[in-house]
Amino acid sequence: MNEMYLGQFAFAFYTLIILAGGVLAVTAPSLVRAMVGLVTTLFGVAGLYLLLLAEFVALMQILIYVGAVTVLIFFAIMLTRASADGGEAEGPGLRGSLRAIPAFLIPAGTLVPFLALCGVTGFDRPKDVSPAALGAGLLGPYTLAFELISVVLLAAMAGAVLLAFEKRGAK
Amino acid sequence: MNPLICYQVVAVLLLGLGLYALVARRTLIGMLIGVELMLNGAGLSIVAAAQLTPTDAVLGQLGALLVMGLAAAEATLVLAIVLVISKRFGDAAADTPRELKG
Repeated sequence: MNEMYLGQFAFAFYTLIILAGGVLAVTAPSLVRAMVGLVTTLFGVAGLYLLLLAEFVALMQILIYVGAVTVLIFFAIMLTRASADGGEAEGPGLRGSLRAIPAFLIPAGTLVPFLALCGVTGFDRPKDVSPAALGAGLLGPYTLAFELISVVLLAAMAGAVLLAFEKRGAK
Repeated sequence: MNPLICYQVVAVLLLGLGLYALVARRTLIGMLIGVELMLNGAGLSIVAAAQLTPTDAVLGQLGALLVMGLAAAEATLVLAIVLVISKRFGDAAADTPRELKG
Protein backbone atom coordinates (compact mmCIF):
# COMPACT_ATOMS: atom_id res chain seq x y z
CA MET A 1 0.00 0.00 0.00
CA ASN A 2 2.82 2.33 0.89
CA GLU A 3 4.53 1.95 -2.48
CA MET A 4 1.19 2.63 -4.18
CA TYR A 5 1.17 6.07 -2.55
CA LEU A 6 4.81 6.57 -3.50
CA GLY A 7 3.94 5.76 -7.11
CA GLN A 8 1.07 8.24 -7.10
CA PHE A 9 3.31 10.88 -5.58
CA ALA A 10 5.98 10.24 -8.23
CA PHE A 11 3.38 10.40 -10.99
CA ALA A 12 2.06 13.74 -9.69
CA PHE A 13 5.61 15.07 -9.38
CA TYR A 14 6.59 14.11 -12.94
CA THR A 15 3.30 15.42 -14.31
CA LEU A 16 3.93 18.74 -12.60
CA ILE A 17 7.43 18.87 -14.14
CA ILE A 18 6.01 18.04 -17.58
CA LEU A 19 3.27 20.67 -17.41
CA ALA A 20 5.54 23.41 -16.02
CA GLY A 21 8.17 22.70 -18.67
CA GLY A 22 5.55 22.48 -21.40
CA VAL A 23 3.97 25.81 -20.49
CA LEU A 24 7.42 27.42 -20.43
CA ALA A 25 8.28 25.84 -23.80
CA VAL A 26 5.08 27.13 -25.35
CA THR A 27 4.85 30.63 -23.91
CA ALA A 28 8.41 31.80 -23.24
CA PRO A 29 9.25 34.93 -25.24
CA SER A 30 12.84 33.79 -25.70
CA LEU A 31 13.53 30.67 -27.72
CA VAL A 32 16.42 29.63 -25.50
CA ARG A 33 14.13 29.70 -22.46
CA ALA A 34 11.55 27.72 -24.44
CA MET A 35 14.25 25.12 -25.07
CA VAL A 36 14.99 24.94 -21.35
CA GLY A 37 11.29 24.27 -20.82
CA LEU A 38 11.38 21.56 -23.50
CA VAL A 39 14.36 19.87 -21.81
CA THR A 40 12.46 19.93 -18.50
CA THR A 41 9.46 18.31 -20.18
CA LEU A 42 11.66 15.65 -21.77
CA PHE A 43 13.13 14.73 -18.39
CA GLY A 44 9.63 14.53 -16.93
CA VAL A 45 8.52 12.18 -19.72
CA ALA A 46 11.62 10.07 -19.07
CA GLY A 47 10.53 9.87 -15.43
CA LEU A 48 7.11 8.64 -16.49
CA TYR A 49 8.79 5.99 -18.66
CA LEU A 50 10.69 4.86 -15.55
CA LEU A 51 7.41 4.66 -13.64
CA LEU A 52 6.04 2.49 -16.47
CA LEU A 53 9.02 0.12 -15.99
CA ALA A 54 10.28 0.99 -19.47
CA GLU A 55 13.75 1.90 -18.29
CA PHE A 56 15.41 1.29 -21.65
CA VAL A 57 13.02 3.74 -23.32
CA ALA A 58 13.64 6.23 -20.51
CA LEU A 59 17.40 6.09 -21.03
CA MET A 60 16.97 6.38 -24.80
CA GLN A 61 14.70 9.36 -24.23
CA ILE A 62 17.46 11.12 -22.29
CA LEU A 63 20.15 10.01 -24.74
CA ILE A 64 18.34 10.85 -27.99
CA TYR A 65 16.06 13.73 -27.07
CA VAL A 66 17.98 15.55 -24.34
CA GLY A 67 21.37 14.61 -25.73
CA ALA A 68 20.89 14.96 -29.46
CA VAL A 69 17.66 16.62 -30.58
CA THR A 70 17.80 19.57 -28.18
CA VAL A 71 21.45 20.20 -29.02
CA LEU A 72 20.44 20.19 -32.68
CA ILE A 73 17.69 22.75 -32.01
CA PHE A 74 20.11 24.87 -29.97
CA PHE A 75 22.40 24.85 -33.00
CA ALA A 76 19.48 25.95 -35.16
CA ILE A 77 18.75 28.84 -32.79
CA MET A 78 22.40 29.80 -32.64
CA LEU A 79 22.95 29.69 -36.39
CA THR A 80 19.80 31.54 -37.42
CA ARG A 81 18.82 34.10 -34.89
CA ALA A 82 19.22 37.69 -35.92
CA SER A 83 18.14 39.18 -32.59
CA ALA A 84 18.63 38.08 -29.00
CA ASP A 85 15.15 36.60 -28.68
CA GLY A 86 15.05 34.69 -31.97
CA GLY A 87 12.06 36.67 -33.25
CA GLU A 88 9.54 35.58 -30.62
CA ALA A 89 9.70 38.69 -28.42
CA GLU A 90 6.42 40.24 -29.49
CA GLY A 91 4.50 37.06 -28.74
CA PRO A 92 1.59 35.66 -30.68
CA GLY A 93 -0.57 38.77 -30.25
CA LEU A 94 -4.31 38.79 -29.60
CA ARG A 95 -5.31 37.19 -32.89
CA GLY A 96 -2.61 34.58 -32.61
CA SER A 97 -3.78 33.65 -29.12
CA LEU A 98 -7.40 33.51 -30.27
CA ARG A 99 -6.36 31.05 -32.96
CA ALA A 100 -4.04 29.09 -30.68
CA ILE A 101 -6.25 28.58 -27.65
CA PRO A 102 -8.78 26.41 -29.57
CA ALA A 103 -5.81 24.38 -30.84
CA PHE A 104 -5.15 23.45 -27.22
CA LEU A 105 -8.77 23.20 -26.09
CA ILE A 106 -10.17 21.07 -28.91
CA PRO A 107 -7.97 17.97 -28.37
CA ALA A 108 -8.05 18.39 -24.60
CA GLY A 109 -11.78 19.02 -24.52
CA THR A 110 -12.74 16.13 -26.79
CA LEU A 111 -10.19 13.42 -25.96
CA VAL A 112 -10.18 13.74 -22.17
CA PRO A 113 -13.98 13.27 -21.75
CA PHE A 114 -13.78 10.49 -24.34
CA LEU A 115 -11.09 8.78 -22.24
CA ALA A 116 -13.11 9.27 -19.07
CA LEU A 117 -16.21 7.77 -20.71
CA CYS A 118 -14.85 4.86 -22.73
CA GLY A 119 -11.28 4.43 -21.52
CA VAL A 120 -10.14 0.84 -21.09
CA THR A 121 -9.30 -0.23 -17.57
CA GLY A 122 -5.64 -1.15 -17.62
CA PHE A 123 -3.51 -3.11 -15.17
CA ASP A 124 -2.50 -1.52 -11.90
CA ARG A 125 1.12 -2.50 -12.44
CA PRO A 126 3.08 -2.22 -15.68
CA LYS A 127 4.63 -5.31 -17.22
CA ASP A 128 8.34 -5.85 -16.80
CA VAL A 129 10.18 -6.42 -20.07
CA SER A 130 13.94 -6.90 -20.06
CA PRO A 131 16.16 -5.09 -22.59
CA ALA A 132 17.18 -8.57 -23.79
CA ALA A 133 13.57 -9.16 -24.89
CA LEU A 134 13.65 -5.81 -26.73
CA GLY A 135 16.82 -6.84 -28.52
CA ALA A 136 15.31 -10.18 -29.45
CA GLY A 137 12.28 -8.32 -30.79
CA LEU A 138 14.46 -6.02 -32.91
CA LEU A 139 16.31 -8.96 -34.43
CA GLY A 140 13.24 -11.16 -34.68
CA PRO A 141 9.75 -10.02 -35.65
CA TYR A 142 10.53 -6.30 -36.03
CA THR A 143 13.68 -6.43 -38.16
CA LEU A 144 12.03 -4.69 -41.10
CA ALA A 145 11.05 -1.66 -38.98
CA PHE A 146 14.57 -1.52 -37.57
CA GLU A 147 16.14 -1.53 -41.05
CA LEU A 148 13.62 0.99 -42.37
CA ILE A 149 14.33 3.48 -39.59
CA SER A 150 18.05 3.27 -40.39
CA VAL A 151 17.29 4.01 -44.05
CA VAL A 152 15.10 6.96 -42.98
CA LEU A 153 17.87 8.33 -40.76
CA LEU A 154 20.42 7.95 -43.55
CA ALA A 155 18.11 9.71 -46.02
CA ALA A 156 17.46 12.53 -43.53
CA MET A 157 21.18 13.00 -42.94
CA ALA A 158 21.98 12.99 -46.64
CA GLY A 159 19.10 15.36 -47.30
CA ALA A 160 20.27 17.77 -44.61
CA VAL A 161 23.80 17.84 -45.98
CA LEU A 162 22.46 18.31 -49.51
CA LEU A 163 20.19 21.20 -48.48
CA ALA A 164 22.94 23.01 -46.60
CA PHE A 165 25.42 22.61 -49.47
CA GLU A 166 22.96 23.58 -52.17
CA LYS A 167 22.68 27.10 -50.75
CA ARG A 168 26.41 27.61 -50.57
CA GLY A 169 26.83 26.47 -54.19
CA ALA A 170 24.07 28.80 -55.40
CA LYS A 171 25.71 31.78 -53.79
CA MET B 1 -9.17 6.84 -11.95
CA ASN B 2 -7.02 4.00 -13.21
CA PRO B 3 -3.35 4.49 -14.13
CA LEU B 4 -3.76 3.96 -17.88
CA ILE B 5 -6.20 6.88 -18.19
CA CYS B 6 -3.92 9.12 -16.09
CA TYR B 7 -1.01 8.49 -18.47
CA GLN B 8 -3.22 9.04 -21.50
CA VAL B 9 -4.46 12.35 -20.08
CA VAL B 10 -0.86 13.54 -19.68
CA ALA B 11 -0.20 12.49 -23.29
CA VAL B 12 -3.27 14.43 -24.48
CA LEU B 13 -2.09 17.51 -22.58
CA LEU B 14 1.29 17.25 -24.32
CA LEU B 15 -0.52 17.01 -27.66
CA GLY B 16 -2.55 20.12 -26.83
CA LEU B 17 0.51 22.10 -25.74
CA GLY B 18 2.29 21.11 -28.95
CA LEU B 19 -0.66 22.18 -31.10
CA TYR B 20 -0.81 25.48 -29.20
CA ALA B 21 2.87 26.12 -29.90
CA LEU B 22 2.43 25.13 -33.56
CA VAL B 23 -0.29 27.75 -34.02
CA ALA B 24 0.98 30.50 -31.70
CA ARG B 25 4.70 30.60 -32.52
CA ARG B 26 6.01 32.97 -35.15
CA THR B 27 9.28 31.26 -35.93
CA LEU B 28 9.97 27.87 -37.45
CA ILE B 29 12.09 26.82 -34.48
CA GLY B 30 9.26 27.61 -32.05
CA MET B 31 6.98 25.46 -34.16
CA LEU B 32 9.58 22.67 -34.14
CA ILE B 33 9.52 22.77 -30.32
CA GLY B 34 5.75 22.24 -30.50
CA VAL B 35 6.21 19.24 -32.81
CA GLU B 36 8.71 17.71 -30.39
CA LEU B 37 6.18 18.10 -27.55
CA MET B 38 3.53 16.33 -29.62
CA LEU B 39 5.88 13.48 -30.54
CA ASN B 40 6.72 13.02 -26.86
CA GLY B 41 3.03 12.79 -26.06
CA ALA B 42 2.67 10.14 -28.77
CA GLY B 43 5.56 8.10 -27.36
CA LEU B 44 4.21 8.31 -23.84
CA SER B 45 0.78 7.22 -25.02
CA ILE B 46 2.19 4.24 -26.93
CA VAL B 47 4.34 3.01 -24.04
CA ALA B 48 1.56 3.46 -21.47
CA ALA B 49 -0.92 1.59 -23.67
CA ALA B 50 1.51 -1.28 -24.20
CA GLN B 51 2.72 -1.57 -20.61
CA LEU B 52 -0.67 -1.43 -18.90
CA THR B 53 -2.81 -3.61 -21.21
CA PRO B 54 -2.40 -7.22 -22.44
CA THR B 55 -0.75 -5.94 -25.66
CA ASP B 56 2.76 -7.11 -26.48
CA ALA B 57 4.97 -4.82 -24.37
CA VAL B 58 7.98 -5.27 -26.69
CA LEU B 59 5.94 -3.89 -29.58
CA GLY B 60 5.03 -0.78 -27.58
CA GLN B 61 8.55 0.00 -26.40
CA LEU B 62 10.01 -0.54 -29.86
CA GLY B 63 7.26 1.68 -31.27
CA ALA B 64 8.30 4.47 -28.90
CA LEU B 65 11.93 4.01 -30.00
CA LEU B 66 10.77 4.26 -33.62
CA VAL B 67 8.98 7.53 -32.81
CA MET B 68 12.22 8.85 -31.28
CA GLY B 69 14.18 7.91 -34.40
CA LEU B 70 11.64 9.64 -36.62
CA ALA B 71 11.78 12.72 -34.37
CA ALA B 72 15.56 12.83 -34.72
CA ALA B 73 15.33 12.54 -38.51
CA GLU B 74 12.64 15.22 -38.64
CA ALA B 75 14.65 17.59 -36.42
CA THR B 76 17.69 17.18 -38.70
CA LEU B 77 15.69 18.02 -41.81
CA VAL B 78 13.92 20.97 -40.18
CA LEU B 79 17.29 22.31 -39.04
CA ALA B 80 18.57 22.20 -42.61
CA ILE B 81 15.42 23.86 -43.97
CA VAL B 82 15.55 26.59 -41.29
CA LEU B 83 19.21 27.22 -42.15
CA VAL B 84 18.42 27.59 -45.86
CA ILE B 85 15.45 29.88 -45.18
CA SER B 86 17.34 32.10 -42.76
CA LYS B 87 20.24 32.44 -45.19
CA ARG B 88 17.98 33.21 -48.13
CA PHE B 89 15.44 35.48 -46.45
CA GLY B 90 17.33 36.89 -43.49
CA ASP B 91 15.30 35.45 -40.62
CA ALA B 92 13.48 32.28 -39.64
CA ALA B 93 9.94 33.60 -39.06
CA ALA B 94 7.29 31.31 -40.45
CA ASP B 95 5.69 33.92 -42.71
CA THR B 96 8.91 35.28 -44.21
CA PRO B 97 9.07 32.93 -47.24
CA ARG B 98 5.62 33.85 -48.48
CA GLU B 99 6.56 34.58 -52.06
CA LEU B 100 6.96 31.84 -54.60
CA LYS B 101 9.60 31.96 -57.27
CA GLY B 102 8.09 32.42 -60.72
